[in-house]
Amino acid sequence: MGLVKAQSLTKVFRRPQKGPGLRGSVKHLFQRRFKDVPAVNGIDVSIEAGEAVAYVGPNGAGKSTTIKLLCGILVPTSGSVEVAGVTPHVDRIANARNIGVLFGQRSQLWWDLPVRESLGLLRDMYDLPKGFYQQRIERLDEVLGIGELMPVLARKLSLGQRMRADLAAALLHQPRIVYLDEPTIGLDIAVKDKVRKFLRELRADGTTLMLTTHDLGDIEDVCERIIIIDEGRKIFDGPLAQMKDSFARTRRMHLHITDGTPMDVIAKHLSTADVSGEGSEVTIAFDRFAHTAGQIIAAVLQVAEVGEFHLDEPAIEDVVRKVYAGELLV
Amino acid sequence: MKPYLSMFLMSARRTFAYRLSALIGWLGGGAILISSLSVWHALLGEGAIAGYDWPMMKAYLVVAWAAGSIGASQGDWRMADRIREGHVATDLTKPVDYQGSRFAEHAGGLATEIPAILIAASAVIAFTGSIPGPANVFLFLLSFACVVPLKFCFTYLTAMLCFWTHNFMGISWAKDAIIWLFSGGLIPLSMLPVWLSVPASLLPFAGITATPAALYLGQATGAEAARLLGLQVFWVLALWFGARLLWRGALRALTVHGG
Ligand SMILES: Nc1ncnc2c1ncn2[C@@H]1O[C@H](COP(=O)(O)OP(=O)(O)OP(=O)(O)O)[C@@H](O)[C@H]1O
Ligand SMILES: [Mg+2]
Repeated sequence: MGLVKAQSLTKVFRRPQKGPGLRGSVKHLFQRRFKDVPAVNGIDVSIEAGEAVAYVGPNGAGKSTTIKLLCGILVPTSGSVEVAGVTPHVDRIANARNIGVLFGQRSQLWWDLPVRESLGLLRDMYDLPKGFYQQRIERLDEVLGIGELMPVLARKLSLGQRMRADLAAALLHQPRIVYLDEPTIGLDIAVKDKVRKFLRELRADGTTLMLTTHDLGDIEDVCERIIIIDEGRKIFDGPLAQMKDSFARTRRMHLHITDGTPMDVIAKHLSTADVSGEGSEVTIAFDRFAHTAGQIIAAVLQVAEVGEFHLDEPAIEDVVRKVYAGELLV
Repeated sequence: MKPYLSMFLMSARRTFAYRLSALIGWLGGGAILISSLSVWHALLGEGAIAGYDWPMMKAYLVVAWAAGSIGASQGDWRMADRIREGHVATDLTKPVDYQGSRFAEHAGGLATEIPAILIAASAVIAFTGSIPGPANVFLFLLSFACVVPLKFCFTYLTAMLCFWTHNFMGISWAKDAIIWLFSGGLIPLSMLPVWLSVPASLLPFAGITATPAALYLGQATGAEAARLLGLQVFWVLALWFGARLLWRGALRALTVHGG
């Protein structure tokens, strides 16, 4: 039984086909032509309580649209959604009590008022008891350092401060289910680390987490499951480790050859690996299920002297990049 | 109720955050009041037009100006921008009614609008002599209170058009012009030609100026006053629930802008 369930979820946008300029607009008034854009196309997802899921895909894949469907902001064209027993677009308000949402690209803070006021309003919206509110603020101060931001006007916050305050706003009522749409967008490394640490703690608390991001570091740090979508369709759904096993099989070893052995001699000796490079710098790409790194180095040592060497672990980045580039069909 | 009250207070505080621009807005509003007073003073002289002599007209103009000021501090663009810039998405993740929230926010402007109205009325009395008091304080206040949701509904409905069109400024100006003419804000409805004044008196716009003014001046009493108030309340409810239906349809058919 999934806590968040979507079946054959589809959202088709009608995009007006309008010519340029005023002429196009006027013509459009009389001759309405639309093009159907399926942003989410028959997606099946089931997320268990306590899971942390990364939801990734290239720009325009339909990630934000999926999140909006799960929040009940958009009504699906077809298919069904159920979140904690509630159909979000039918009972939006009941659903809203169960979830916490962050759209990283926009703020929910009241721009012209201190952060404290926005949080105070949320306390009233969710009807949080005073003691609980106090305790949450203290906790959020510990992990996100929002204490110092409380008296600051929201419009005077830097991007990183704004994101921290917005995260606090999204999580103030301690929701069971949290959707974060690009929570680290535009942040520097230090703030990113802080946010990731916070997300890990959230997970440890048993919160169900769905995270969209273009920063693959977020995923490796926080999630154990990954769903990849492209053009509105799901193309991978499984444990992160399994994805690496299936698609990120290639490891790369970089060697510095000290005795001037030409590259093609090494290449000939290692017929099952891919050898490339220039002069004394050689890179060997090999299937990590066919060979261990030890076997590779032992084989090279039979024909050449090696100075320094290091190994690149397969990164999900490579896989996702391939998927984005359309090189990988699952 | 608590979330809405809280939003009302937040919005009121926000209005004070923009003291300077609010002040400039009110100075402009004051200039309009002064110029319409001088125009009518010159037109009326010692006589009367269509039953309005100078003291009565003064009262009418103050009531009309007061009704015009309701909601003015919030600006239509605020609600429109929520839709245009996609903030609706975040709003809809909260466990509160969207329309109710926008109403609470809009009403927050009363915190500066009411004082401004009281100041303007006192200034008119101070500089031009006394104006007749309301014929029936209770009926007038009831009717004037209806102006708040009525004006909200028009702004809300107009802002909703942003789902379909990008030219919000044009629509907003058109809306203001229609309200100005058909509410009696420009001139009393009884001075319009019959073919305009009769439909105008039945349309919801009349509730924004003509009805509170008629109750203030005692032009409508007894059954007629009840009929006018009933019509006004009818339009408040019709527009409020009509907007709700339309909003639901808009969300279903259309979409929320932006990533
Ligand atoms: N309101 C809308 N009207 C029409 N088309 C839309 C609308 N919102 C999104 N789309 C289209 O739906 C598709 C999916 O958009 P979505 O915002 O879900 O992508 P995304 O995966 O979040 O991308 P990104 O990584 O850029 O945020 C895109 O082709 C987009 O142009
Ligand atoms: Mg997006």
